[in-house]
Amino acid sequence: MTVVADHTRRTERRGPQARREARIGLLFVLPCFLLFLAFRFGPGVAGVLMSFTDYTLTGGGKFIGVDNFTRLWADPLFWKSLKVTVLYTVLAVPGTLIASVALALLTRRAFRGSKVFRSVFFLPVVTSLVLAATVFVWIFSTGGPWATFVSWFGMSDESWLTSDTLVVPALAVVGIWSRFGYGMLILLARMQDIPRELEEAALTDGAGPWQRFRHIVLPQLRPALFFLAVIETTASFQVFDAVYTMTGGGPANASYTLVFQLYDAGFKYFDLGYASAIGVALFVLTLVVAVVQRLVIGKDQ
Amino acid sequence: MTAPPVEKTPVPAPEPPVRPSRRLRKEAERDFVPAGLRGTLGGRIVRGVLLTVAALATIFPFYAMVVLSLKPSAAVEFPGSLLPWPLTGEAYDSVLGSQDVPRWLLNTLVYSVVSVVGVLLLASLAGYAFAKKRFPGREAMFWSFLSMVMVPYHVTMIPTFAMIAKLGGVDTYWGLIVPTLANAQAVFLMRQFIQGLPDELFEAARLDGCSEWQVFRRIVLPLLKPILATLGVFVFLWHWNDFLWPLVIGQSTDMRTLTVGIASLQQQNVPLNVVLSGSVIAFVPIFAAYLVGQRYFTEGVTASGIKG
Repeated sequence: MTVVADHTRRTERRGPQARREARIGLLFVLPCFLLFLAFRFGPGVAGVLMSFTDYTLTGGGKFIGVDNFTRLWADPLFWKSLKVTVLYTVLAVPGTLIASVALALLTRRAFRGSKVFRSVFFLPVVTSLVLAATVFVWIFSTGGPWATFVSWFGMSDESWLTSDTLVVPALAVVGIWSRFGYGMLILLARMQDIPRELEEAALTDGAGPWQRFRHIVLPQLRPALFFLAVIETTASFQVFDAVYTMTGGGPANASYTLVFQLYDAGFKYFDLGYASAIGVALFVLTLVVAVVQRLVIGKDQ
Repeated sequence: MTAPPVEKTPVPAPEPPVRPSRRLRKEAERDFVPAGLRGTLGGRIVRGVLLTVAALATIFPFYAMVVLSLKPSAAVEFPGSLLPWPLTGEAYDSVLGSQDVPRWLLNTLVYSVVSVVGVLLLASLAGYAFAKKRFPGREAMFWSFLSMVMVPYHVTMIPTFAMIAKLGGVDTYWGLIVPTLANAQAVFLMRQFIQGLPDELFEAARLDGCSEWQVFRRIVLPLLKPILATLGVFVFLWHWNDFLWPLVIGQSTDMRTLTVGIASLQQQNVPLNVVLSGSVIAFVPIFAAYLVGQRYFTEGVTASGIKG
């Protein structure tokens, strides 16, 4: 992001007119800024501070140092939810990126119906995951459409949602379904900017489709892929709606994610200090992964 | 929204760019793509098959949702249940005849519509000030907006909930709506857009004696129409689909939104066709907004990278 540019500095002005402008500027910005201060910035800071207290809804609020974090470290449920969240991310993010790239490639040239296809692929993105989850519960039921589909490949037709090994992959399928259209659209916009001359030149040099993709399209997509990887990873770390609706964290906590634990701690047990500590852990994790992704995918820029 | 044109304003609003006709755009595109890149006939067939399969897989949950919601409750066994007959509206009768779903629909409408109006108004005012005004504390305010981009919403949510609970806002509309009105993403987008507008327009209106509020109301707002439409559709969907905040703030049955209510139906032993008819009812406005605002979606996402 750029620093606020001084578009308004035409000449150095002082005096009543500048004061008037400042007053108007403040008047216009303050309603939004005060609400932001009260409900986002302030609570953001408070959330970090609260993670060092034993705040509950009815009382507490005493400073207890890093107790919440040592408790978190010793909490098997935290490691469970971390494992589930990471597994979900490892399945959903690459899956979403691969599907996004594939469908962007397939729809990038205008042809009869290309816009219809793009619209269809974007529809899940605008649909609430809670609504979609209600039908996915049926799709994943024993003997249901998904189970029947995988049974063609020799798997059993039992429900993935009641299996402690398959429940997270099932949620990842739903996640990919709901997100690939967004990645596709971002990549399509990027692909429009690739100079056609590059591909034409490669074509006259006899490069096949795979070579053109590998050496021309993919390098040009790198910044967009980096952006998507960060966005999708952040979203995956925060997976909640589908888990809450489809599995409730089950079976036997096999789909218990970080935000699910945060929700339980905060709004079921009203242990707000501990819930804040989980939030801080989520924040740190997001930052670490963003930095790592920057180093791995975003290098050479 | 359409303000009467300011009298005596010498500078007219810029003409919207003329969109070339569909045929012209198609021709331009075709001429631009060399034959080798357009693909062979075999390649085009493979592409068509792959895309059709992917599209059918994407659509399938929507199809199943609608068809199953129209089935009698006993007839949801796969695969026979996917045939579009026999259909009945009994699930819709029971859902719309209940006390809950119409109330949840109303709550969701209030939440979405009030938020759209509030977010757009606050963000356009703030965006205008950030883009065109100099005032003390501007940089600090803008950086505080920016600084929250990487902080997960969940960290913020817990103290916000504690505060709203203390103020007695649990199970109230204001408790649900007010904390969501200051939308940093919307402010960024507005600021970016307004920076591109020429200062001369505002100067001219000022010289003609418009007050600052009139400049905003009659010059800035009409110029913001495209971005207001894009952002409005997105904000509407964010709130219509929002789940976690309405879940924690709306604790009584009466204060649930549709997403929260449907999740609660899903967890009780409500027959599938009834749950799904609720989902369809919640989905129809999304779908309508999508059909109407499709151009805004695709342009909005690609231009700004707003999350859907």
